[in-house]
Amino acid sequence: MAEWICRTLRDGGLEGEHAPALTINDTITCPLGSFVFDHFLSQLSSFIFCQKSQSNGIVLVALSRSPLYYEQLLKSKGFDLVTSSTWFKILDCYTDPLGWRSKLVESGSIRNLSSGSSLAVNICKNVKDLDELLSSILELGRELSGGGKGRFTVAIDSVSALLRHTSVSSVASLVSNLRSHDQVSSLFWLLHLDMHETRGTAALEYMSSMKATIEPMVQSVDGPRGNSENLSLMEQNLRRGKFCVRVKRRNGRVRMMFEEFYVEKSGIKFTPLSSENEMTAQSLVPKVQFNLELSEKERNDRAKVVLPFEHQGNGKTIQIYDGRKSLNDGKAETQPTSVQKVDSNRGEIIYFRDSDDEMPDSDEDPDDDLDI
Amino acid sequence: MAANKPRTTSFSRNFSAASSTAPQAPGLKHGPNGTMFLSSGIPDLDKILGGGFALGSLVMVMEDPEAPHHMLLLRNFMSQGLVHHQPLIYASSAKDPRGFLGTLPNPMVPKDDKSRVHETEQEKGLRIAWQYKKYFGEHNSESQRDGKSEYCSDFDLRKPLERHFFSGQRIDCVSLKESADLATFQENCSSFLSQTPRDTGNIAGGRIAIQSLCSPQCEFSNKDWEMLSFVRSLKSLVRLSNAVAVITFAPSLVSTAFSKRLQHLADTLVSVKAIPDEDKELAKLLTGYQDMVGLLSVHKVARINTQVPAILEATTFSMKLQKRRSLILECLNQAPVDGSNGTSYASSGSCSGSSKTGGALDF
Repeated sequence: MAEWICRTLRDGGLEGEHAPALTINDTITCPLGSFVFDHFLSQLSSFIFCQKSQSNGIVLVALSRSPLYYEQLLKSKGFDLVTSSTWFKILDCYTDPLGWRSKLVESGSIRNLSSGSSLAVNICKNVKDLDELLSSILELGRELSGGGKGRFTVAIDSVSALLRHTSVSSVASLVSNLRSHDQVSSLFWLLHLDMHETRGTAALEYMSSMKATIEPMVQSVDGPRGNSENLSLMEQNLRRGKFCVRVKRRNGRVRMMFEEFYVEKSGIKFTPLSSENEMTAQSLVPKVQFNLELSEKERNDRAKVVLPFEHQGNGKTIQIYDGRKSLNDGKAETQPTSVQKVDSNRGEIIYFRDSDDEMPDSDEDPDDDLDI
Repeated sequence: MAANKPRTTSFSRNFSAASSTAPQAPGLKHGPNGTMFLSSGIPDLDKILGGGFALGSLVMVMEDPEAPHHMLLLRNFMSQGLVHHQPLIYASSAKDPRGFLGTLPNPMVPKDDKSRVHETEQEKGLRIAWQYKKYFGEHNSESQRDGKSEYCSDFDLRKPLERHFFSGQRIDCVSLKESADLATFQENCSSFLSQTPRDTGNIAGGRIAIQSLCSPQCEFSNKDWEMLSFVRSLKSLVRLSNAVAVITFAPSLVSTAFSKRLQHLADTLVSVKAIPDEDKELAKLLTGYQDMVGLLSVHKVARINTQVPAILEATTFSMKLQKRRSLILECLNQAPVDGSNGTSYASSGSCSGSSKTGGALDF
């Protein structure tokens, strides 16, 4: 399913539609979001490099990891760094997000500002001004797409870092501006769910079209307590996890997909889910009071109930216990019926005949008594 | 008939002038308790709500962030207003709200309707008892009126609204993106509503459509009290001036307390929900799952001038796009499940079948 997402991001959005936007969510229990982000970044890079995708390049907004890290990532995936500037540009918001280092350079305390990376980077000095950030992203994108015609993908290393500096509404407005921009083909970002209030995460989910959540394989019961089983569970959660995706489709339905993944030295491996999980479809639909389906136990009980007919169909005429006969008279007779009754201790139908004297199917018409 | 039969009681029906004449505008119709209705644009929804949206009511639609169904409701609502020449004001958080007007659907051409009737009779796999067939025929013939004077048009979602509906109309589009607060928009609304005539002789019925009020791009989205007081003042404005306001908002974007407050402010409250795609459980549970796009639940129906609540037979309906063209709402046909905490208005299981007229049959 990660493949599916990569392909969706690669294919981008149609003319006049909002660009597809993926949010990668993780939490402290399984903090592997950055690995998944790197995986998507490298996959998209290979698509773009082979010119198989709608977009001509990637603009990466690096907030939580330095451009040097990305340089090493690209090198490890086998991309040539020299030519990468034609399709890969970084907006460096990591080195000096609030402009303090440049102030220090001005005052002479430190010598230079470079990040040490050989990649083409633009340094952003004021992360708080999201309008400026937006225009820098678009400018870089224009350089990539050859001024006008082509489209580009935007990757935001961590929206959590952006939310630290600015308000939810300005980040949401940045994302929506990017999505609705003609030249942006697709967009994806990383978000650490437990670092923000529900409002912030709900707003970003609202703005996205695909939501990928990283969950631990096994939830640990006690939380961060340090007993031995918990520690081994926590260790496991640092290497593998469950990858759950919810995709908003155009027809208004939501597609859900699940996979497992393992983090290894070379990268991430995605495998289909080993255990089936229950879908609670019944929660969507209102409950009905009828139950026309019987469980096994209920079926057995139903078979055991003695019906109040005189002929039970097994060759014997059985007299049903008639409440009106006195016990002395009917003791001998009621013996067999009481035996019959004991069998069916779960279901009983007690039948009192309306009139003992009347023969069934008598010729009299009871309506003859009426006088109209 | 009344002239021939001798009067058996001392009461006689008093046909007052007001109720006997149809309201001047074709887009309005009289309802019970002295209210007037205007159509929501979706025939099934009008039936469910007992006639349509009452003039002077505030309708709130709770969105599901994962599905765009609230847009379908808004589109039909706005198109219906334009078809009936009712003034319209539309607000959203987009930079250019006028663009949304391009997605409004066109009323269906009557030719297409006739073919639909024939197909419904042939397609029905259900064997309907002969005495009920006559009721089906009645339903269909009722809706086959002249397109111009119809109260509620069937909209073809694939065709955009024709240009002539836009001309000569009061259509205002407001963008809420740049506004720091809702004060300017509130003034817009009050000036819009003051221009719709209020005297009973000449009611036109104004429509206000606000899409995604709490959307996070707007600066006022974290000012909960402001949004709440805006909705409250809008409700009072609308009540005074014979208009209907439809506001959509996503409850997950505001805190639960404010979401509840907003829901309580609504006169008519409806929510839309997304359904999972390719879900085998749901396919087993519901018939017609393949055609469904979502679920619509009616939580509250506006009751103006009366204390009697509206009790609906069913509150959850499936939204289907018939031939990808028109939106129909149907009662859910679901396999009975463990009814541990069912409501007393459980959805009617099998009686409505896949009737194209939707809703419940009147016997």
